[in-house]
Amino acid sequence: MNTETPTDKELREVGFDPTIEHAGSFLLEDNTITQATPHTKALEVLPLAEAMERYPWVRERYFKLVSKDQDEFTREAAAAGPTGFFIRIFGGEQVLLPVQSCFLLRSPGLRQVVHNLVVAEEGAELHLVNGCTTATYTDIGIHIGVTEYYIGRNAKVTSSMIHHWGDEVEVYPRSAAHIEEGGHFVSNYIAMSRVGRIQMYPSAIVERGATATFNSVVYAPAGAKLDLGARVYLTGAGAAADIISRAVSDGGHVINRGHIIGEVAGSRGHMECNGLLLGKQGVIHAIPELEGRSPGIALSHEASVGMISREELAYLMAGGLDEESARSLIIQGFLEVPLADLPPFLRKTVRALVTRAKSGEAI
Amino acid sequence: MKPLLSIRDLWVDIGGKSVLRGLALRILNGEVHILFGPNGSGKSTLLSAVMGLPGYDIRQGTIEFRGQRIDGLQANEIAALGIGLAFQHPPAIRGVSLETFISAIDHTGTIDVAIKRLHLDSHRRRELNCGFSGGELKRSEILKLYAQSPELILLDEPESGVDLENLTIITDAINHILEKNHPLRLRRRGGLIISHAGFILNYVEANLGHIILDGKIACSGNPREIFEEIRTQGYEHCVRCLADGTGGKHEH
Repeated sequence: MNTETPTDKELREVGFDPTIEHAGSFLLEDNTITQATPHTKALEVLPLAEAMERYPWVRERYFKLVSKDQDEFTREAAAAGPTGFFIRIFGGEQVLLPVQSCFLLRSPGLRQVVHNLVVAEEGAELHLVNGCTTATYTDIGIHIGVTEYYIGRNAKVTSSMIHHWGDEVEVYPRSAAHIEEGGHFVSNYIAMSRVGRIQMYPSAIVERGATATFNSVVYAPAGAKLDLGARVYLTGAGAAADIISRAVSDGGHVINRGHIIGEVAGSRGHMECNGLLLGKQGVIHAIPELEGRSPGIALSHEASVGMISREELAYLMAGGLDEESARSLIIQGFLEVPLADLPPFLRKTVRALVTRAKSGEAI
Repeated sequence: MKPLLSIRDLWVDIGGKSVLRGLALRILNGEVHILFGPNGSGKSTLLSAVMGLPGYDIRQGTIEFRGQRIDGLQANEIAALGIGLAFQHPPAIRGVSLETFISAIDHTGTIDVAIKRLHLDSHRRRELNCGFSGGELKRSEILKLYAQSPELILLDEPESGVDLENLTIITDAINHILEKNHPLRLRRRGGLIISHAGFILNYVEANLGHIILDGKIACSGNPREIFEEIRTQGYEHCVRCLADGTGGKHEH
């Protein structure tokens, strides 16, 4: 017997799945919070408005990393007030199970405006899986999402965001992270379906001995417009940044940005912006930027945009795979690279999402 | 019984340049042939054309596998009929593990045995051909053939850049794929092997050797004798020998 509603399926496709063991959950439907539940005492999951009432220091951190006046969308988020999650993991706690959150756009034409705040205290470890989706019948709408990540000394946060929006939905995430000494922040971004327009350029400030990693895996079918990237400021010795992105365009338009700013000696950064064009219609525009502001830094990048290699295809086919299977394997492998660094449990979840998303799409 | 492979008057162009010029070759069931020849003589082109790789333009002639025309078929169709090629320089494929690829093409259900036999256990999760050493590349190509379990194996310099230990591992596996442990009478599988250094002759029993010169088989005969002649006198000798007509073509 299948009692699953269509919406359950959509939520599961972006990682919001009660059958997967998790450490907490948060669900926003349109602009209403319908779940905010921690499953462990090691962390808090609260509506941000409630956390701001409860803790003065949260109020101080609201719109501290992201500027209210950054653009029209942050101004709209400031005017709308704090609707979104507050997730805090307490000092020294390491929770390997993910906290699941989801922003669901139900009503056609709605403007969903979200503000989230994440705090990882000293030495803590937190894994977030954040899905954004629309109900099947909803093709138009706008999502604006501000997220501020505060990562304490020697703390580790991975945040995996999976986007699965409707055909004409416009999406404007505005997020920023501050990583204190010895901390680690890993952001994974996955978008596998048609969307009207996504534009985002999250940033991170990385202190001494801390690291920031931005991985993105993007598949853009015809009609999709994606303007993505990450900007990292390396502000201390031993600070490191990796921006690894893989974009496949099957008719969609992808801008792949990256900007690493090395401010002090002893910091290092590396960027890989690789694009694969499947059809004649698509565009992939890679814009990697490296900015050194001090001697003694090491910044590098590689960028490529190309088609599936004929040599690789022939090699796989000579092994006995038909052309379609060989293409699919190459594309899957191409998209797989940024996922290699995920913790195993998360990699499994994300890989299943990639496979599921792809099987529902044109690949 | 139909020959395993029968090539008649084969002319192949690469990028408009004529590389094979009227080549003929027959391999019978259970036979292993060794191809010798200087660089650029057309050895790899022959293997690639038989395998149906793109970019090898067959202008004239026919290739038959067990009596069936295969020229004009796609590489995967040729593979499905029972031909496998171990590449000399296999491309690296990012994000696809050796195990994923081998599992996808496996016909045997016993690849775990082969993975151990070829000392590739620690490479299962490695990205296909990425950062593999010379010996590792050769071993993984042989593993691929093992998984495909073809009737005819084409090996492009399986011994080049391989140390003695790897050579033993590789040639043991080749003999296994060729069913060399089966009684001669029942042996059907065969191979066509390109060799530069001739080491392979000490490990894999071969029936016939050929020298390719300028896109044609110039000379055929006992593989050890042929190799000895090349070793002592060089390919220039073959060229002269052909030119003055004193050389004998040992008809097969």
